[in-house]
Amino acid sequence: MLKVLVVDDSLIIRKKITKLVVKLGHEVLYSAKNGQDAIDSYIKEKADLTTMDITMPDMDGVSAVKEIIKRDANAKIIMVTSHGQEDMVIKSIQAGAVGYMLKPVTEDKLAIAIGEVFEKYAVEDDDDSELLDDEI
Amino acid sequence: MILDALVLQSKLFLSEDMGIEIKKVDIIDNSPDKLILKDYTSMIGTGGQLNLIVVITFETKILEHLVELFMDGEEVEDEEKEEIYDSVTGETINTIIGLSLPIFPNRGKGVTITPPITISDASNIKKYKNAKIISAEISTEFGKISISAMGSEESVK
Repeated sequence: MLKVLVVDDSLIIRKKITKLVVKLGHEVLYSAKNGQDAIDSYIKEKADLTTMDITMPDMDGVSAVKEIIKRDANAKIIMVTSHGQEDMVIKSIQAGAVGYMLKPVTEDKLAIAIGEVFEKYAVEDDDDSELLDDEI
Repeated sequence: MILDALVLQSKLFLSEDMGIEIKKVDIIDNSPDKLILKDYTSMIGTGGQLNLIVVITFETKILEHLVELFMDGEEVEDEEKEEIYDSVTGETINTIIGLSLPIFPNRGKGVTITPPITISDASNIKKYKNAKIISAEISTEFGKISISAMGSEESVK
């Protein structure tokens, strides 16, 4: 079970993602309504996964990704985006986000996005162990 | 072209994503002096390569139906009703603009969008000097939605 931080300025989207995260068997640590709120929450308790909106008032998703990655280089952040925000998605990935998901968010899309992120890191972790074994 | 893109994506969003039947679409491109607002309204500004204000305004019944769909059957508590309604209008306009950007001039490259803003307690928006307003009214089985773009003649063409 993953501990998930949900970040979106829209209440309806926070509710929707929270519901889907729980339905998929995970736990929502906190739902934040802007980037700063997300960073504050991440500092208090590290999430296994963060879903991050891009366009938000006060501090947008790209800036929040940069700040979270500064504090935890291994943070796993999935951007939640509308069509037409490709430039911002690229900036987010460059800043350290590990994936993205297009709105409207559905159970299938969320399950696939989570699966892809953790499959990728499981493979990388395995590769690291092999390297370590070789070194030993 | 701007209005065509907005209307096309509004129709796709309503019919395909939300399963709402579209009855007809009326285009109003004679740039009226003011935009008459319906019961709930949200707007988004675009900047960078394209300076526009896009306004979407809903009759109560269609917005109530969209809220039901977004809430997935969950009841809306009285204390969060206003925020829920605002976030549904905001998400709707956000989605429609996001989907429209790739079919805007230059495929929307270099265009930025602001977070949605809710307009309450206003019955109309007046244009200033040379601004132009183009609008479309979409009639559905649950009532009407209007979508409008406001900006310079060059921006809204």
